[in-house]
Amino acid sequence: MSFPRQSFHAVWLLCLLLSAAGMTVQADESPGVDFSRDVRPLLSQYCYACHGPDEGSRQAGLRLDRADVAMSVLESGQTAIVPGQPQSSELLARVSSPDPDLQMPPTSTGHSLSAEQQNVLRKWIESGAKFDDHWSFRPIVAPVPPPLNDSGWIRNPIDAFVLAKLQHEGVQPSPEADRSTLLRRLSLDLLGLPPQPAEVTGFLSDNSPDAYERLVDRLLASPHFGERWGRHWLDLAHYADSDGYLGDTFRDYAWLYRDWVIDAVNRDLPFDQFTIQQLAGDLLPNATVKEKTATGFLRNTMRNTEAGVDLEEYRLKEIVDRVSTVGVGWLGLSLGCAECHSHKFDPISQREFYQLFAFFNDADDVDIHAPLPGELETYQSRLAAWTADQSRLQMELTKVFASDSDALRTALNVDTKKRSAEQKTLIESLLKNADEAASQLASEYERHVGQKPTPPATKAMTVARREAPRTSWIHVRGDYRNRGEDVRPGTPSVLPPLVAGESPHRLDLARWLVDPQNPLTPRVTVNHMWKHLFGRGLVATVDNFGSGGEAPSHPELLDWLAIEFMNRGWSRKALIRLILTSSTYRQTSAVREELISRDPLNVWLARQSRFRLEAENVRDAALAASGLLNRSIGGPGIRPPQPDYVASISRNTEWKVSTGPDLYRRGMYIVFRRATPYPMLLTFDAPDSTVACTARERSNSPLQALTLLNDPVFLECAAALGTALHNSQHSTFDERLTEAFLRTVGRVPQPAEALRLNRFFQDRWQQFAADSQAARELAGDVSEANLAERAAWIATARVLMNLDEFINRE
Amino acid sequence: MTRHAQSLQPSPTSLMRRRFLTGGLTGASAAVLASLLEQDGIRASDLPQSVGRHDPTLPRPAHFAPKAKRIIYIYLEGGPSQMDLFDPKPELNRLDGQPLPDSLLANVRFAFIKKESARLMGTPRRFVRYGQCGMEMSDLLPHIGSCADDLCLIRSMHTDQFNHLPGQLLMNTGSAVAGRPSLGSWLAYGLGSESRDLPAFVTLVTVGRGIPGGSASWSSGFLPSTYSGTQFRSTGAPVLNLDNPNGIDAMTQRASIDAVNDLNRLHLNEVRDAELIGRINAYELAFRMQSAAPELTDLSGETQETLDAYGLNRTEPDIKSNLGGKGLFEPFARNCLLARRLVERGVRVVGVFHSSWDHHSALDVQLRHNCLMADQPIAALLKDLKSRGLLEDTLVVWNSEFGRTPLGENRTGENSRVTGRDHHPYAFSIWMAGGGVKGGQVIGETDEIAWGVARDPVHVHDLQATILQLCGLDHTRLTYRFQGRDFRLTDVHGHVVQQVFS
Repeated sequence: MSFPRQSFHAVWLLCLLLSAAGMTVQADESPGVDFSRDVRPLLSQYCYACHGPDEGSRQAGLRLDRADVAMSVLESGQTAIVPGQPQSSELLARVSSPDPDLQMPPTSTGHSLSAEQQNVLRKWIESGAKFDDHWSFRPIVAPVPPPLNDSGWIRNPIDAFVLAKLQHEGVQPSPEADRSTLLRRLSLDLLGLPPQPAEVTGFLSDNSPDAYERLVDRLLASPHFGERWGRHWLDLAHYADSDGYLGDTFRDYAWLYRDWVIDAVNRDLPFDQFTIQQLAGDLLPNATVKEKTATGFLRNTMRNTEAGVDLEEYRLKEIVDRVSTVGVGWLGLSLGCAECHSHKFDPISQREFYQLFAFFNDADDVDIHAPLPGELETYQSRLAAWTADQSRLQMELTKVFASDSDALRTALNVDTKKRSAEQKTLIESLLKNADEAASQLASEYERHVGQKPTPPATKAMTVARREAPRTSWIHVRGDYRNRGEDVRPGTPSVLPPLVAGESPHRLDLARWLVDPQNPLTPRVTVNHMWKHLFGRGLVATVDNFGSGGEAPSHPELLDWLAIEFMNRGWSRKALIRLILTSSTYRQTSAVREELISRDPLNVWLARQSRFRLEAENVRDAALAASGLLNRSIGGPGIRPPQPDYVASISRNTEWKVSTGPDLYRRGMYIVFRRATPYPMLLTFDAPDSTVACTARERSNSPLQALTLLNDPVFLECAAALGTALHNSQHSTFDERLTEAFLRTVGRVPQPAEALRLNRFFQDRWQQFAADSQAARELAGDVSEANLAERAAWIATARVLMNLDEFINRE
Repeated sequence: MTRHAQSLQPSPTSLMRRRFLTGGLTGASAAVLASLLEQDGIRASDLPQSVGRHDPTLPRPAHFAPKAKRIIYIYLEGGPSQMDLFDPKPELNRLDGQPLPDSLLANVRFAFIKKESARLMGTPRRFVRYGQCGMEMSDLLPHIGSCADDLCLIRSMHTDQFNHLPGQLLMNTGSAVAGRPSLGSWLAYGLGSESRDLPAFVTLVTVGRGIPGGSASWSSGFLPSTYSGTQFRSTGAPVLNLDNPNGIDAMTQRASIDAVNDLNRLHLNEVRDAELIGRINAYELAFRMQSAAPELTDLSGETQETLDAYGLNRTEPDIKSNLGGKGLFEPFARNCLLARRLVERGVRVVGVFHSSWDHHSALDVQLRHNCLMADQPIAALLKDLKSRGLLEDTLVVWNSEFGRTPLGENRTGENSRVTGRDHHPYAFSIWMAGGGVKGGQVIGETDEIAWGVARDPVHVHDLQATILQLCGLDHTRLTYRFQGRDFRLTDVHGHVVQQVFS
């Protein structure tokens, strides 16, 4: 027996790879046609809209998402798919038909299958037309990391999964990034803040073998970690400080929920609890105010209070939003599609949508007292003092007015403007005959009643279960007035069953979402975390794990992480630590010439990624580098100055500008008013907070350049940094420039950079020396002798704060 | 170069690879990139493919040859009364004071009217036949009337929403729920920019009472913020942060941008990330915008004749009180003139917004006032575009979220002081002109009291589909993937109104 040499090698190589990877060859690397990888995406994109799960739009009784129907004889007498017989399969005849009347998809859609795509279907049918469950609905089975012979690159199993793929592609991983890059990357990823110069020098000179791990631990323990990772969550929660819609009324205490998130992330509240408290904290036994505050998650929906609207219509829209948010955030499914009709691509019926809807239809909005630390104590002690005075006055009244005192007191207890005619007459008649001391006593009593301390106004926006449950219906075509069948709370049948009693409620739903049997929640959640740390998810479509989404690039790694996440008690910090301490994470992010055409999007992870900071962190970076940043955490939002016309286009125009240190707080504390958001945030792609956002855009626009160059906040930062550099203990230009680089980009300048900036600095110095008015406008209060140099430093600081590197994480 | 269907956004890996191989870069952007890169000693083939993501500052080919290359979208928030402006109803005048038949009232909702005691209300307006086509419009619009032969008036518009913001969102973003990209953003996304110095989508706002939802009507929603309408002010610095800070003169600004870009180039050599090229371009565009935008709002180059035609120096008549406020004649006229200057400079979409036309009371007085404000400048804009040869490929739209009721508004339940009309979604009028629109025609018809559409109904989504079609875009193919789903301006609806086309 002799094999041609070449193919023998190929087979041998394949065997080697298979054995090296154990049972873990990744789905999208296997030869031949794979249903999940190759076929379902085609059927989903071109066929399911009319031949998929939605019975309402199904044509010819054919559905191609289920093997039994796809392979049975249709009304027309044809059979769409005959396994092993492409020539008898009507599906193939139709997609390849030259006749416009027969061709599928219909010519009116503007779509047709390419020869290559037709071939995929042909091969699949030839090889038996095997259907299988969509990958994300399958149970998670703990994968075994591939046992690779590596050169010491593998630090933990993450690296083994990544390296297996790289070896398969014949690609080496990138080298580890230099220390200053690693520090800045970690600091931005974990805190959303650039490292401070002392941290840079400290880390660069720390020669201990576990310096990196200790750095990771220190950052994970920082209270700013909760801000950074809390903000990620707030995107999903679409948190905002106003109602949206026409009136766009402020929500004065929405921030209590925001602070709950920061705190929960900081204390690493396990993700299952994190889920349960936000969706059903009010239903926990003996729920605390804090647990109820967590349900503020559900209150982030927009509210329409426009005069004349049907409030019921908008109440229902809020529930639809809650279902969609749970779909996108936990399940990675576009459940919202099933509001009006059964889902066209995923096995979610319209009925199932309204079963989920029913869970939330029982939650009423309730604002509860949620006093801040100390607030209640202050109130109680003031109330106690007031009550003591009240008893004293009451006794005195009884002494003076004897039998009339009760009636008098009752009348005086009523606010002057609300007293009845009888009460007024009574008071008048009693006081007419009273002496001056008695009159004075009565007025003192009256005044005192008016001074009764009011309980703390701080109220958390929460939900509470309704006493009398509402009936939920299917809304035909999503129209709330058009009621179909009634439905009871329930979960989609494609997922593991709900464990609940007679009448399932929100707490059951929340527990079901984080049940270890649920294959979606852990996969979706670890994928979110991965995306924040690599700029791209292992499933690139972070919000779609359905058949319209992409398959995972590293399916086994995804599942391994999901299992680890649950094994580590759903600890966000533990999972993040695991990822950060991998070699994969530590690679350089420089684009590799040889991979540009092979892996342009860095799917294989042969390097780290480089991406722009999020809007809030752009502001944070400027404030931090300048030294102006106020690092206080939580509390009411702030209002930076903005031109009047920004808010005046809307109906809620009030914008009371913050003062003092509040001006320098982090971006995430800027009051987010939905109709007229703070412009800088939108310019840098902060989400508009209308619906859940799991993946921010990263645009690159001239308005961003104008903001960094000219916005007063950024200019103030440049002025503060320039002034600090000019006042620095260092005396030479190079030393000062090094300090400037450490503060802005966390590294020392390279000679070419120093040279170029030196030229810029000298030119500006000269120019400002000749134009002292301009120098004065820029540099402010400084002696004449130092003026031009100070202004030149400010101009130089402004250049550094406009560098692409300054607003990127590398 | 053909660009097949659907989404322009960075697509899933497999598609991306395919698109790259089949030439995902448009000819123009590829050429510009190549020249930029040569300056930096980098060959295009060296670059990561993320460069293939379209550059929003460059034009992109439409789905098919566009009739309109740009659009001026005049949005008069609040719901101008169609019976008093565009849709003559002698029968309504005859029935003035009569109740509406129960059959019509049974299934309707109003924002404020008390159905039981509501009475039909005629109009005091006189309708005039304008132009050679003899299009009937109210005596409140003599100037726009003089452009009748260029107008396509649609009297059979209808919508699903009878409250302002939902109606406005449906009209301007295709969905009554906030968060979707606006029409202008979709156009900017689909067609790119023709201007190298100005944004693709600019909005000019005459604020008046305040626009419900603020910037939602020109927001990019889930599209990248690059496609948002950039609000230009008619006076002062036209764009936020456009002016250099005090102490930074043009020379310092130029030198600073040069230094920034030089350092970015040094960094590009190291990290090879194409996004850096985008950043360098953005700084250059920002700098050009800093001179182009003030030049735009500087009207000193306009003749006195032009300024007078737009009515920039009119005396605003006194009015006791006005919903939209006072002092708006000059800014509105200026915005109309700026709209012409913007399209002249290649801006793709100009939104001209004004609020409010929400005349629940004092309709006669306040509608007359608003028309005095708007009629002359809008007509001047149409004529100006025409005389400059721009009207043939510039689409101009007059639009609002709905119309008003043929019933008088008896909010208090008494008929004594009925002076206005309530919101009316079932029938209203809008018009279009220019870019591929057949002028001098009326589309659709309402019943004899302007209550419902009697012939050729045009839904909001139909209008949107038609506008996209005029601009060379197929509304079913212009999509963007968000939350796992391909979104369209027209959702799953919309039929192009063929009758509109010339």
